[in-house]
Amino acid sequence: MHELGLTRNIVSIVSEHAGTRKVKRVKVAIGPRACVERQALSFCFDLVSQGTPLDGARLEFAEADGETFVIKEYEIEEAH
Amino acid sequence: MCGTCGCSDPKNAVTMTDLETGSATVLRNGAITATHGAAQSEVRKHEHAASHDHHEHGHSHAHDHEHHHHDHDDVPHVHGPNGEVITLETAVLAKNDQIATRNRGWFLGRGVLALNLVSSPGAGKTALLERTIRDLGGEMDICVVEGDQMTTNDAERIREAGARAVQINTGAGCHLEADMIARAIETLNPQSGAVMFIENVGNLVCPAMFDLGERMKVAIISTTEGEDKPLKYPHMFQAADLVIINKIDLAPHVDFDEERCLDNIGKVNPQAKVVQLSAKTGEGMDSWLDALRGLRKSEASIT
Repeated sequence: MHELGLTRNIVSIVSEHAGTRKVKRVKVAIGPRACVERQALSFCFDLVSQGTPLDGARLEFAEADGETFVIKEYEIEEAH
Repeated sequence: MCGTCGCSDPKNAVTMTDLETGSATVLRNGAITATHGAAQSEVRKHEHAASHDHHEHGHSHAHDHEHHHHDHDDVPHVHGPNGEVITLETAVLAKNDQIATRNRGWFLGRGVLALNLVSSPGAGKTALLERTIRDLGGEMDICVVEGDQMTTNDAERIREAGARAVQINTGAGCHLEADMIARAIETLNPQSGAVMFIENVGNLVCPAMFDLGERMKVAIISTTEGEDKPLKYPHMFQAADLVIINKIDLAPHVDFDEERCLDNIGKVNPQAKVVQLSAKTGEGMDSWLDALRGLRKSEASIT
């Protein structure tokens, strides 16, 4: 549940940070007690990122402890 | 929409209705781009593909989940080919947690006991509050924040029972968040020594992960729900300091196994205090009211 709202937070935090630069990859760390469904997050991510600097970006996951739910890093697409 | 539950439908706004004045305020509009606001994060180091073994961060947010994990090499990854990798280490719920911390400070500063009531729909949260307000008969100043997807029914019931209430309608949202409580505090403005009950949206999943700034979560389970609820929804029962078993008057009719239920609560949360009562008949209400008096007293002594 609630993954759409959480995905909005992720997209919002990364977009604000990235500014106008295009993001190609975002990695989030999720602990076993974070109550977050990865599949639902990925589903929402594609939807929410449309029209943002994260449009088309890949969402990656890392393992973490406890209730952790953190955006670890993101990768900027190199300007051509 | 959310693939799992369809929550947060963009068409649905979040509103707050003040039952005293009848005025409704839009807390959030429903646009899909309307986010909860970006968290403040500070990045000290930008790093590139070749080297990424230095991770120093300057965080200023009051959230202790993300500080424990600096093992960045847990999952090997390849950066490439020349993309800039920026380390964020920002909690996804950082914004909520910041506002919750502010709410908590407000409650502490003023000596207001805030309790976050969580349960599945129909466990009897509102009935328990109605009974509590009536039984206390003005002994303490009580105000209630009602959370439901739609309708102001519950807030009206609270008002009829004799307490001030605001109704937050979350639209399609499945839980209350800290910013909604911040707005409710502004409207209700509870006085020193008051008790503020936050009746969360009936849902045993999402409210567990959203800190509202409350002193504690109180989980309510009713005898008609089955004794295995704590095992099925362990996050919520782990997050609660007090568990109320409601509708004990119905226990004989629904083959409620009290011992098994207590055992299950103990399995997921050995520290939880358990109170059994019937908000309908009043049986067991005394233990709950005593627990409430104790909490209120300790809240006042903190300040």
